[in-house]
Amino acid sequence: MTRHKASLRSRWFTAAGRDLIPPFYLWIGLVLLTLFTLAPFAYLLLTSISPPIELLSGRLIPRSPTLGNYVRLFTGAAASSFVSAIRNSVSTALWTTLLTIAVGVFAAYAVAKIRFPFRNTALFAILAMQLLPSISIIVPMYIMMREGISFGIPFTGVELFRTPPLLDSTAGLVVAYTTFSLPFAVWLMAGYFQTISRELEDAAYVDGNGRLGALFRVVIPLSMPGIAATAIFTLLNAWDEFMFASAFTQTEHSKTLTVAIREFIGRYSIDWGLMTAGGIVSSLPPVIISLFLYRYIVGGLSAGGVKE
Amino acid sequence: MKQSRRVPNFKRIRMGGGKMAKPASGAARKVLRLSPGRRKDWMLAALLLLPTVYILARTFVYPIFQSLVWSFYKYNLMDGSVVAFIGLRNYAGIFRLPDFWAAMGSTAYFTVFTVGAELSLGFFSALLLNQAFRGQLLFRGMIIIPWAMLTLVNGLMWNWIYQPGYGALTILLHQLGLLGADSNPVWLTSPFRIVTFAAIADIWKMTPYMTLLLLAGLQSISSSLYEASVIDGAGFWQKIRHITIPQLMPAILVAVVLRILGAFRVYDILTVFTNNPTSSVSFLTYNYAFRYFYLGRASAMAWISTLFILALIVMYFRLLKKNAEQV
Repeated sequence: MTRHKASLRSRWFTAAGRDLIPPFYLWIGLVLLTLFTLAPFAYLLLTSISPPIELLSGRLIPRSPTLGNYVRLFTGAAASSFVSAIRNSVSTALWTTLLTIAVGVFAAYAVAKIRFPFRNTALFAILAMQLLPSISIIVPMYIMMREGISFGIPFTGVELFRTPPLLDSTAGLVVAYTTFSLPFAVWLMAGYFQTISRELEDAAYVDGNGRLGALFRVVIPLSMPGIAATAIFTLLNAWDEFMFASAFTQTEHSKTLTVAIREFIGRYSIDWGLMTAGGIVSSLPPVIISLFLYRYIVGGLSAGGVKE
Repeated sequence: MKQSRRVPNFKRIRMGGGKMAKPASGAARKVLRLSPGRRKDWMLAALLLLPTVYILARTFVYPIFQSLVWSFYKYNLMDGSVVAFIGLRNYAGIFRLPDFWAAMGSTAYFTVFTVGAELSLGFFSALLLNQAFRGQLLFRGMIIIPWAMLTLVNGLMWNWIYQPGYGALTILLHQLGLLGADSNPVWLTSPFRIVTFAAIADIWKMTPYMTLLLLAGLQSISSSLYEASVIDGAGFWQKIRHITIPQLMPAILVAVVLRILGAFRVYDILTVFTNNPTSSVSFLTYNYAFRYFYLGRASAMAWISTLFILALIVMYFRLLKKNAEQV
């Protein structure tokens, strides 16, 4: 088939065979997309390096950029509460992820590989728990945190152990976050486990392992990308959570970054340089993690979860 | 080891009654006999599931039922009144509350606006990013930045942009000449405007999520379909209408339901812009719970939201099943 030497104009405005969009519109679209995506973020960054005087004068790009806002953030009046907020966010997010993955891996394996009775009900329950909003259980959970979680023999009045009141503590937040992270983590990991073919597991059986051996020696190592994706999602969600944090924390002892940012808005209402600097610092971890581990995130979003 | 190769038809086991061992009557029934291996499997499954089930039962399922029970009580934590059973009066009171309907309306508006905008913008972004071009990965990585930012920081940023006088929106409009040099409008005045502008902030954050979901769906559309349509003389819009959208429908529906569920529970971003609790149902519920500590009424309100969302979840599950069957 002869290829005509297409004129410059038609080359720019018609799409090639398998493509949908002509090159001209593609590049316009991409420019718009980039502007739309990055401009607000760039503005946030620029604001955080502007001296306060320039901000109120209505300039978009600072004439004399300065790191003064960041210095004030970490050494000024806001410093101690901000730094402890960072510490709380980090520890809450890490503990939540650890607990969720450690507990969820086993349940995910069972859901993915073992056909047990009521499996369909379990799948529906996991899905429903993923999608229910925090507001549904926040009231009883608050009371639970206030009075301490009691462990006892169910249906009798016997109480074996009661934790101290968990309000205003990282442990309480970790419990609350795990509640919402577990269903999602089990769903996602079970979806990954299902992609490990039976033959690989059977190879482990032939070597004399039981189910658990196969789990630790074959399934988990092979699903590391999936488990990593789940861990990233859990971490990001815990970092970003606001409702439970603002309801259950009261002092600097356990306030996370989200609550600290919210308080900034009330307390330093026109010091936009300081506030945007705080915003950049608290958003850096999730943004950096997302950019570097981008492949895992996209894999997780398109994983689709458990199939029947 | 042999029974791990035999993948039993789950439906047949259910009909067979589960744990009872059926007498083997011929080769056709062999698959239903409960072998020791399978029983051990089920016990292992139970063991593996135990920690998760216990945690979730204790911290999720039990509180949901507690919330249901409390919604029938007058339970005001801070004013020292007696906890008393009042039946459906909490629910009746809520439905008569004009604040509640204002919040419902606001939430509905927010949901429709954000999901509609995210769907359109996400669809076209996914089309752009689906095409093969140099630097494709760079653009795909870049769009994750808004999604990764903290919701509250997102709100803070847009609040700054909307500031009258020195915020970026006003400055830009002045520089583009769209706004007279003297006029300095305050953007965040009425509740309607506040919700609209908060919705814009949410759209900015969540469009990448929608884009990535749709992109995953787009990549499974085979390009031979497009090539065939070019032979038939299809232009851009015809290709979209006859190939892209029908093929992408499952992914679109799933993404839309997920976003509706997400938008309905909006709370975080609204707290940055306003203290007005009627801007969303979650906000109103939260206020009743943690500002006034009317726990009975808050539980009832939370349950109304829960019922609504459960209805959506059932719909979503049916959608998933239909998708799985079509594949």
